[in-house]
Amino acid sequence: MATDTDTARIEGFGEVSRVRGIVFEYLSLGASVLGIFALAVLLIYVTIDAFDLAGTSPVWLLTYFVTLVVPFLAFCLYSARDREVTRRAVTVSGGGLVAVAAVFTAIETFVGQIPRLNWQLAYLFVVVAPLTGYLVYVGARGRPGAVGFGLVGRLIGGTAIGLAFSVLFLVFDERLWFLAYTIGIVPAALVYGYGRVRDVSVASAAAIPIAVLGVLVAVLLRPVVDVYPTTVFIYLWTLAIPIAAAGALLVNGRGNRTAALVAGGVPLALAVVIGLFGRAAGLGVGGPNALLVISVAGVPTAVYLHRVFDVGEGVTGLGVPVLLVGGALVGAFVVETFGIPTPNPWVSETFLTEAPSRNARDAGLYPAIVGSVIIIAMVAVFSFVLGVATSVFLEEYTADSGVIGALTRLLQINIANLAAVPSVVYGLLGLGLFANLLGFGFGTAVTVSLTLSLLILPITIISAQEAIRSVPDDLRRGSDAMGATRWQTTKNVVLPEAFPGILTGTILALGRAIGETAPLIMVGAATTVFSAPSSLFSKFSAMPMQIYAWANFPQEEFRYGVVAAGVITLLIILIGMNGTAILLRNRAERGT
Amino acid sequence: MAPSQNLETEGITRRRSLAALAGAGALALAGCTETEGEGGSGDGSSGDGSSGDDGSSGGSDSLSGSINIAGSSTVFPLMSAVAEDFAADNPDVSIDISSTGSGGGFSNFFCVGETDFNNASRPIQPEEEELCEENGVEWVELIAATDALTVVINNDNDFATEMTVDELSQIWQSDAAEMWSDVRDEWPDEEIERYGAADTSGTYDYFIENVMGEDGHTDDYQATEQDNTIASGVEGSEYAIGYFGFAYWFQNQDQVTPVAIDNGNGPVEPSLETASSGEYAPLSRPLFTYPSIESLGEEHVQEFARYFVSQTTNEDLVAGDVGYVPATEETQEEQMQVLEDAIEQAQG
Repeated sequence: MATDTDTARIEGFGEVSRVRGIVFEYLSLGASVLGIFALAVLLIYVTIDAFDLAGTSPVWLLTYFVTLVVPFLAFCLYSARDREVTRRAVTVSGGGLVAVAAVFTAIETFVGQIPRLNWQLAYLFVVVAPLTGYLVYVGARGRPGAVGFGLVGRLIGGTAIGLAFSVLFLVFDERLWFLAYTIGIVPAALVYGYGRVRDVSVASAAAIPIAVLGVLVAVLLRPVVDVYPTTVFIYLWTLAIPIAAAGALLVNGRGNRTAALVAGGVPLALAVVIGLFGRAAGLGVGGPNALLVISVAGVPTAVYLHRVFDVGEGVTGLGVPVLLVGGALVGAFVVETFGIPTPNPWVSETFLTEAPSRNARDAGLYPAIVGSVIIIAMVAVFSFVLGVATSVFLEEYTADSGVIGALTRLLQINIANLAAVPSVVYGLLGLGLFANLLGFGFGTAVTVSLTLSLLILPITIISAQEAIRSVPDDLRRGSDAMGATRWQTTKNVVLPEAFPGILTGTILALGRAIGETAPLIMVGAATTVFSAPSSLFSKFSAMPMQIYAWANFPQEEFRYGVVAAGVITLLIILIGMNGTAILLRNRAERGT
Repeated sequence: MAPSQNLETEGITRRRSLAALAGAGALALAGCTETEGEGGSGDGSSGDGSSGDDGSSGGSDSLSGSINIAGSSTVFPLMSAVAEDFAADNPDVSIDISSTGSGGGFSNFFCVGETDFNNASRPIQPEEEELCEENGVEWVELIAATDALTVVINNDNDFATEMTVDELSQIWQSDAAEMWSDVRDEWPDEEIERYGAADTSGTYDYFIENVMGEDGHTDDYQATEQDNTIASGVEGSEYAIGYFGFAYWFQNQDQVTPVAIDNGNGPVEPSLETASSGEYAPLSRPLFTYPSIESLGEEHVQEFARYFVSQTTNEDLVAGDVGYVPATEETQEEQMQVLEDAIEQAQG
């Protein structure tokens, strides 16, 4: 904080110039703004193309602005309960409207037409979007806002995780999972629970061997047994019931048995009814996937509702989903009644659920989405396990000096250099090693995800090492002083402390893996497939491959509309993935 | 997971709830089961190399299996349009298509036995035949459609709208003309900017063979597999020239201007008609697909190949949706005969 007296004193010396400092400050500001601005312009145009906003009538925008955006912003302001914030928000939205309209018109008159943009859209992106972000941030600090966003987050997040599960079961054998769960995991959980309750340490220790043994037996039994429950019942038994039970136990832990039954039972019952009879009753949804999604989204929501009512603060926040859905319905109703022309977005239900097509309007991304989700799930597991294991070994188990120390340093340098190797080279490695030598097949999920795991492994290792290194040595020495072995120190002290940092590195690395194209081309991943993969060894496509192919189609509709829709879908899935990881990280940070 | 303070009460409910779970599980097990093979299809055909689905009596209308296709980016839109329709009628057949370039497809995938079909925008070359032979891959050549390789210039370019094959060769041969005025005296004294196909592309091979001949292709050009890049390059500069398949120009007629080619009988503009009649010479070219004979032993591959040949005369699909010249009825019959012979060979 420079004050007048400061300046006076500095000038008194007559030596120190502040010009360089100020120039540097503004240069760095300019650099950061330039990057963000370029990215924002790109994203704005992609969004406009993907949702066909260029041809939207201003009335349509206005309708939804009034029915959906304004009530939501009002809720955020209500939650923030800050007169100053309200005043600022109103000034910005009002002043912004005038300013954007004036600047935009001025540019159009004096400089030239801006393609596919009008001042209403500019207002939406330049003023409303940042304002909404800011108000959500401010609103979430008030109790009703926190409750409302928590509820919406659980609904959306649960649905997304449920969908991701159902995608994974497309290639992973649910019957094998059923056997492994029934023979391995359930007995292990029972034994573990018994051990904990009765304080029998032998029983708790036996849980993991039992689980491993059970899973092995299941693998052996899978080819022999040929009668299985239907998929609905497998999901019910192996996923819905445990999730409901976990939810019920959680609520029960807070003391109320009836509430526990309700929190676990109601979502479960809903899931079962819709899963079994939804289709027959003509609801349009049903089957195993509906059961899965409803229970994965429903149980956490019910548990959360119980907690909110238990605490009793900010209950009004529970109205947020109603506000959003209601606003959308009212908007749709108004649009319908007054016959306001609606845009025809490229990102639509058919785009997400259909196979690619030669007609831009029928084109879909479904097989590629499934491919990407499966690949990323496997890459996450491979790279996390390999990366964490390597970095723990390098940081905790190797010596710093002597021959071993020199070897370790050599290895370190190599790993750091590997991070800079171009991705095509990893593609060649994958082609030679996994596809040809080990025979995992050209362009199969296994080959692709192993290749991508190798590609991001250096990044994962380096960031995990940094995280482990940043754990204070005092903690390790303290643990040693208590008589803990190195394994106990690593397990109980180092890894929990380093976990948030490790996750951050993994998130960044996975973001790179999901958008990678060159190695996929090298290992022979398909450009286009027409049906979702049915096993880990069938041919895969991934979102970037399909988007790249569309970008070369002769038809303009593909190169603008469909490609933009693909980009938006890819970004949404990436954000969903990162969101999950960030939530986990925050949880871990709070836990320590 | 559970907090450890009230273990006592928790233990009871856990046991109770576990009992309830077990009951529900038993009910589920008893109530609704299915036997192997009802739901999980696809497992059966995981071995790709197995020739012939044993016992094909199980109803010919339910084909299943996978078909791997790679090759030319020029044929890619046509092949994926046909595959889309076939996949819609046969949901259990999974088809995947990669756009790798004709040569890339032959050498990396087809001739090492990884793919069932390879698309090509020029006939298979001797080295590729050798490679296929080494690996014991036999193939048959099918004509997919006809393309009119289109040379394009900027919309503002009003001087070079007609060219002889010789002038075209002077622009693209290995010691290429630098200035437009070097090619024809009345053309402006400006540098030629060239945008063309990369050397992995069949379009590149075809262009050399039919325009430049012995003189080879210049290195002084922007090489790419992307028609899109060529078009925007030409669109951006008044003195640019480029070439690509007809489909791209057909779908984007306002972006760039096609050059009428004079092969000695006056200038001819590329179009579906002139390409099909053969007037647009020497740049109208056949496009091919090469099924592997071993794969033709499998029923779903046979059916797909038959369907593909039957679609080559479909004007809506080939000309309307993709922008190539459909085959004539005669060609189609010939190709069908070639295919049937190959299928017979595969089964015999």
